[in-house]
Amino acid sequence: MPPPSSPHRNGWPLRGVFRDPALFLSVAVIWALLALFIVYPLSKILVMTFERGGHFSLANVVEILSAKNQLRAFWNSLLLGTLVGLSGTALGFLFAFTAVRSNLSKGWVRFLDASIILPLISPPFTTAIAMIFSFGPRGLLTYHLLGIKNFNVYGLHSTLFAETITYFPIAYLTLKAILAGIDPNVEDMAFSLGSSRWRVFRTVTLPLTVPGLANSFLLLFAASLADFATPLILAGNSFPVLPTEAYLQITGLFDLKSGSVLSFALLVPAFIVFVLQRYWVSRRYYVTITGKTGAQTQIKSVSPWARWLLLTACLAIATFVLYFYVLLFYASVVMAFGANYQLTLKHYRVVFTEGFKAIHDTLIIACFGMLAGGLYGVVVGYLVAKKDFISRQVLEVVSMINYSLPGTIVGIAYLVAFNDRPIMITGTALILIACYVFRYGATGIRTTVAILQQIDPTIEEASYSLGAGTGTTFRRITIPLVLPALFTGLGVVFIRSMTAISATIFIVSINWVLITVRILEKMTEMEIGVAAAFSIFVIVVVFIVIVAISLVLRLFRQPGAPDVSNILGG
Amino acid sequence: MKAVSIRLDNISKTFLHRVKGRVVAVNRVNLTVEPGELLTFLGPSGCGKTTTLRMVAGFENPDEGRIFIDETDVTHLMVNRRNLGFVFQNYALFPHLSIYENIAYGLRVKGIPGAAMEQAVGGVLKLVGLEGYEHQFPNQLSGGEQQRVALARAIVIEPQVLLFDEPLSNLDAKLRVHTRSEIRHLQKNLHITSIYVTHDQEEAMAISDRIVVMNKGEIIQVGTAEALYFHPNCEFVAKFIGKINAMSAEVLGTENDKATVQIFGKNFRLSGVPDGVVAGEKQKVFVRPELVKLSNQTGPGRLTAVVTERTFLGEKIEYALKIHGHDLNATAYDPLQRGTFAPGQEVAVEFVETGIQILK
Repeated sequence: MPPPSSPHRNGWPLRGVFRDPALFLSVAVIWALLALFIVYPLSKILVMTFERGGHFSLANVVEILSAKNQLRAFWNSLLLGTLVGLSGTALGFLFAFTAVRSNLSKGWVRFLDASIILPLISPPFTTAIAMIFSFGPRGLLTYHLLGIKNFNVYGLHSTLFAETITYFPIAYLTLKAILAGIDPNVEDMAFSLGSSRWRVFRTVTLPLTVPGLANSFLLLFAASLADFATPLILAGNSFPVLPTEAYLQITGLFDLKSGSVLSFALLVPAFIVFVLQRYWVSRRYYVTITGKTGAQTQIKSVSPWARWLLLTACLAIATFVLYFYVLLFYASVVMAFGANYQLTLKHYRVVFTEGFKAIHDTLIIACFGMLAGGLYGVVVGYLVAKKDFISRQVLEVVSMINYSLPGTIVGIAYLVAFNDRPIMITGTALILIACYVFRYGATGIRTTVAILQQIDPTIEEASYSLGAGTGTTFRRITIPLVLPALFTGLGVVFIRSMTAISATIFIVSINWVLITVRILEKMTEMEIGVAAAFSIFVIVVVFIVIVAISLVLRLFRQPGAPDVSNILGG
Repeated sequence: MKAVSIRLDNISKTFLHRVKGRVVAVNRVNLTVEPGELLTFLGPSGCGKTTTLRMVAGFENPDEGRIFIDETDVTHLMVNRRNLGFVFQNYALFPHLSIYENIAYGLRVKGIPGAAMEQAVGGVLKLVGLEGYEHQFPNQLSGGEQQRVALARAIVIEPQVLLFDEPLSNLDAKLRVHTRSEIRHLQKNLHITSIYVTHDQEEAMAISDRIVVMNKGEIIQVGTAEALYFHPNCEFVAKFIGKINAMSAEVLGTENDKATVQIFGKNFRLSGVPDGVVAGEKQKVFVRPELVKLSNQTGPGRLTAVVTERTFLGEKIEYALKIHGHDLNATAYDPLQRGTFAPGQEVAVEFVETGIQILK
């Protein structure tokens, strides 16, 4: 018989772990995996960056960053990230405000929701490709319609534009949730105290949205910092950024050290963003004041003409986004975009013959990654949310690291860490799967934690009080509640496996070819028709998966079940 | 400042409900609130009281009818032009502003200069007993304190009209009683015409000059608490304000507004009988439980009942009785003086004759 437990003698923290061997075992396994696939690669980058002749030294950093081009790349990255953060947040706010604060009919709101879906589910460089089609040397808009012969599509302006279009949907999803959460009574109150609409917006609505705006800015800043493909296609020689520079150093010059240092330079701002988001922004969300919300009220935020103005602006942008994707599709079905507009299916023939290995490899990796990543997310999420063990908080933070870091860093870290003994897995599918699991599995963790934290402990206590044991309670109560999180996790890992590029580009090999990498190759080989056809293929597959998952999620109509937008925003 | 009147002229409002379809929330309501009066809308949930209030505020627009404040038509005036103070059920404090800034908000909108604003805010904070809370934020305050901030914020702008939407329903019972008398004092001292919405009849009786009883979007009766309690115009009001026994009686004869009825085999002479009561017919009659007197003196010629349940509530005891197979409730005050009865005991029952009413 175990000794009677006394709360006062629980001083020894490991006691709980030893009393529950299953818990101990699972925590140990998770820690071993995290150490191997998150901590170890990152530490390799740090060693690579700060080691010279067996000693700690700043010489590498100083040497490489003092090269003029590299330093420029560093500042360019920060500049681009800041601008994308600002413009994307502004655009996202416009859409979100129009959707939830201007009394639109359900149909219009649904239309706005739909119009941002395409950029969200596409590989991050499809906008960049469409930019070339539209504004490039033989671009539809510049060359054919406007007759501009020497329009320069390469540089900061178009990279900024493409990344804004690519990432503003994230801002939209973030801000929409915040704006919808503002109690309309608070705005009504301001009206009743004599405020005009503009004043209510300025003194109530906008200040209440500030934490969301900051969060959205940080998200977009980080996304832009990590974006590798858009600058590769659009930035050109005049505007080097860190991810592309690191890529050139590693694949062009086989200089792993420079690559590491450059990715470390990327790590610093990324880390600052991570800390700001986690410890500053998250605390500034205003808690809704107690009490049940009053009667539903008509939202009076905007006057009728302002509403039409907002809607028109949104429609114009949505149309432009749609135009990009129509262009992409068009390029995939003509002989040679820019020269020969005869319709053909030959690019798709290439995709399914010559490109079949890429499709086959990508799907295999995505499927295995999805299963492993979904499971990983739910298990870690369950441990973090429901179990009490020493190192719990550290484990949660560590599990989020790869997700929060720019993909370039993760890719280079994996390359540096697993290229050599003791663990040589470069060139295998395992390295790709591990990369996806430990990067995108984090969404599953977050969703699981969010769901489990919403579940009142009394629900499980109610099950115990009705005579169910621990096993039955887990099986009948906990698992059904967590299932939506599992499906979300599965979906995210699959979709990201189909569309990711920034980390993958460093760890692909001839053994395993990925679609996204083939698209970039085709772009540089100027086989843009095939690149477009591949992109359309990816978009279609991802779209089908999203629809399937949202259908599954709809089966779980319990409160707190995640929305399909979780997948997209993650 | 001179108190103003509020007049509702035949206002109606219809909503589209997801399940029920078209719902008439407010149906042709006519009402005048006298200057300086505190008028309460009382009724069960969904009776249209909050909707009517929100139309007076300007948060909703009536589909039909007109609203006048101080004899000025404000039907299509936006809420920010109506010069009113509104206290929400959930207080709707601005979570991002300090208590001082919450209260100063309306003054800033009006462009009141700094010194005068500080004085006004300090004044109302003192009035509601929250001095020293200037730099706190809403989430640092208790529910009762938040409630008082909401009140201070509404009165500091010296509105013509004060509107309350169930302002006390999120407070605990003791605080509710205390705060409602504070609101009452404040309203009398400031002499601001006020409309107060509640579903709690005790609160309504305690706070109002007059009460408007509403049901299904219509006004059922308007009057002082006494008038509604002693002279309800229908069964709904009688049952909603206080408790009442309904009994079956036989009308033996009528004469003008007087009638002789037989209840449980005993004759009573009633006055104030409405038209349409005809001799020889069955008729529902009503009597309040405290007008049902119980005693030990059972005997011939007296009504006898059996106690089935006894609830001791301190200053009073509530009895559930069975009389001639029917349920009857009685409330006895002052139990020490009058003695108490145990369940199962036979008691003599007397009705206070003037308290028996026939209602439409």
